[in-house]
Amino acid sequence: MTILKPLLGWEGFLLAVLIAIIAANAALSPQFLTLSNQINLFQLSIEKIIVALVMTFVIINAEIDLSVASMMGLSACAFGWFFQQGVDPVAAIGLCLLIGVAGGAFNGWFIARVGLPSLVVTLATLIGFRGLARVLVEDRGVSGFPQWFGDLGQKGLIGPVPFALIAFAVLFVALFVLLQRTGFGRKTYVIGTNRDVADYAGIDTGRHKMIIFMMSGLVSAFAGLLFAARVGAVRGDVAQGFELDVITMVLLGGVSIFGGAGSLMGTLLAILIVLNLRNGMALVNITGHIQTGVVGLLLIGSVLVPRINLSALRRRPQKEAT
Amino acid sequence: MTHFKTLGLTAALMLGTSGYALAESHAMTLEGGQATNMVLLPKFLGILVFDQANEGAQEAHAELANPGALLFVGPTPENSVAGQIEIMTTAATQGQGAVMLSNNAGDQIAPAAEAAQAAGVRVVTWDSPIPSGAGEDVFVAQVDFGSIGVVMADMAHSILGGAGEMAVLSATPDAANQNAWIAAMQETLASDPKYADISLVDIVYGDDQAEVSYNRALALVDSHPALGLIMAPTTVGIQAAAKAMQDEGMCDQVKTSGLGLPSEMVSYTMNGCAPEFALWDFRDLGYLTYYTAYGLATGQLTGEIGETFVAGRMGAFTIEEDPGRPGQKRILMGPFTVYTSANVEAAAQ
Repeated sequence: MTILKPLLGWEGFLLAVLIAIIAANAALSPQFLTLSNQINLFQLSIEKIIVALVMTFVIINAEIDLSVASMMGLSACAFGWFFQQGVDPVAAIGLCLLIGVAGGAFNGWFIARVGLPSLVVTLATLIGFRGLARVLVEDRGVSGFPQWFGDLGQKGLIGPVPFALIAFAVLFVALFVLLQRTGFGRKTYVIGTNRDVADYAGIDTGRHKMIIFMMSGLVSAFAGLLFAARVGAVRGDVAQGFELDVITMVLLGGVSIFGGAGSLMGTLLAILIVLNLRNGMALVNITGHIQTGVVGLLLIGSVLVPRINLSALRRRPQKEAT
Repeated sequence: MTHFKTLGLTAALMLGTSGYALAESHAMTLEGGQATNMVLLPKFLGILVFDQANEGAQEAHAELANPGALLFVGPTPENSVAGQIEIMTTAATQGQGAVMLSNNAGDQIAPAAEAAQAAGVRVVTWDSPIPSGAGEDVFVAQVDFGSIGVVMADMAHSILGGAGEMAVLSATPDAANQNAWIAAMQETLASDPKYADISLVDIVYGDDQAEVSYNRALALVDSHPALGLIMAPTTVGIQAAAKAMQDEGMCDQVKTSGLGLPSEMVSYTMNGCAPEFALWDFRDLGYLTYYTAYGLATGQLTGEIGETFVAGRMGAFTIEEDPGRPGQKRILMGPFTVYTSANVEAAAQ
């Protein structure tokens, strides 16, 4: 893939970076390797990393979904609104997941059937879903959810391991199998590489894209509910700005923004790198702008620089071939 | 009081009593020199008033000779909710003695704050509390939110000479603090015949953005030719309004007042555009918050209602029930400082 490939490949490179960060963290902070910190490390960003898994499908499919964070906000606020209206919480969860599927179908229809660029469609729904979320709860906070709902978000379900972390693990395995071991996964790559070729080969690319955007909506709505459970209250600004963190994790994982290339293992490694780096810095009291700056530098170094080589190396032989 | 620090707690208790005749008889003096690590967590970094609060906390930190560390860490504005939750969670992992929080996350911080408490961290809020009070030991309130109405009405009375038209330039229409303060002012204006000749003609919102506020101030002047005063209960709005009136050369007809920072308002106060404005001292707020958190983290305070202690140069304070949040605890700093040409230059330093 890159000039690093002869040595260890992109994923091998990420693994080396991850090991270096973990070693540095363990050396600098005695609390880093404690079980509670390792769980917190995931919990603090659990919603983002769950959405990053499905974003991997979207980007490999040569699309983008900018509306994920707004859908998380809409789902969380819808839950708050239903709760205020006296809807049974379990039914409210089901309705919120349906909103996620419907929102994803809305995106997918305009992208796959009308043929609008996903950048434009999901930029519109980024604003639209967020607007709906704000209409639902206005500028109030909604809290006082049932005890079991909060416990699900905050307490350990199996020993100290919380529900959201188990959900992440299960979802990772399921999506890994789907992407790397099934026909659906292969189609995702083929369509992402060249949609025209895929169309010509008889793949219903529109249907495939519809399904992927509905998956994205559903998982985002689920992540929004996890956020509501974890923090025990919702406001109109829930998850605001999360979409960029999600997309950067996927790109750091080696998924090509042009589609057709990347893997869930790469995304997982990138997630672990970002989470461990943030956690390590927080433990040594590097927060705020400096933390943002360090993560930004890492991303410039690891997303941008190898990618220049990648595109230069990939495009030249393609041109020669045609 | 610094020379009492080395004395034992009992002795300090007695001395505290004798040293402060006005304090309640059981006001205790905190013993310095005990080690506890503490975190001052503002809404976000890069705001002058939070830096001032940090100065106050650092002053108290040095005064109490705490061998532990005082950290000033905060999130970025665009990440303030998740950032505050992350810092609160990390503080619990690190085993900090106390977190001093100016909450920007509403009740969303409550589970993280409760988890921190369960890990032995004392959580003291200042400037902005946790609405439900869950996860909070005590709130150090800058002023009584009700009294702000009286202060603003009095400044209006003084500037307008007892009679005239005023308008309010607020932050956002949904800002809970500002709305409570404006309501308190309206109540004061209506309830006391002293203010009978002052009429509140309009309330507009500048969204706490300088340019929007500036334009709203100009629009107010256009729509109300007899306007004598713009009252802005926000540090952004008051500065923008004063600048607008100065730029238009209208400071003789329309004055500006409200809540402002001396360092930002000093030129407008000296040239007469904003002859009077008010604010609480964020250095003092940081100082008092530190004393409170130190007392709790070292176990010298239990945080029960009725407990009274001496906060260094600021004197004695008592933990009481928060009238705005029944069942929750607060320490009331107060009062306002009203700034005029007589004291604004010193405060602006």
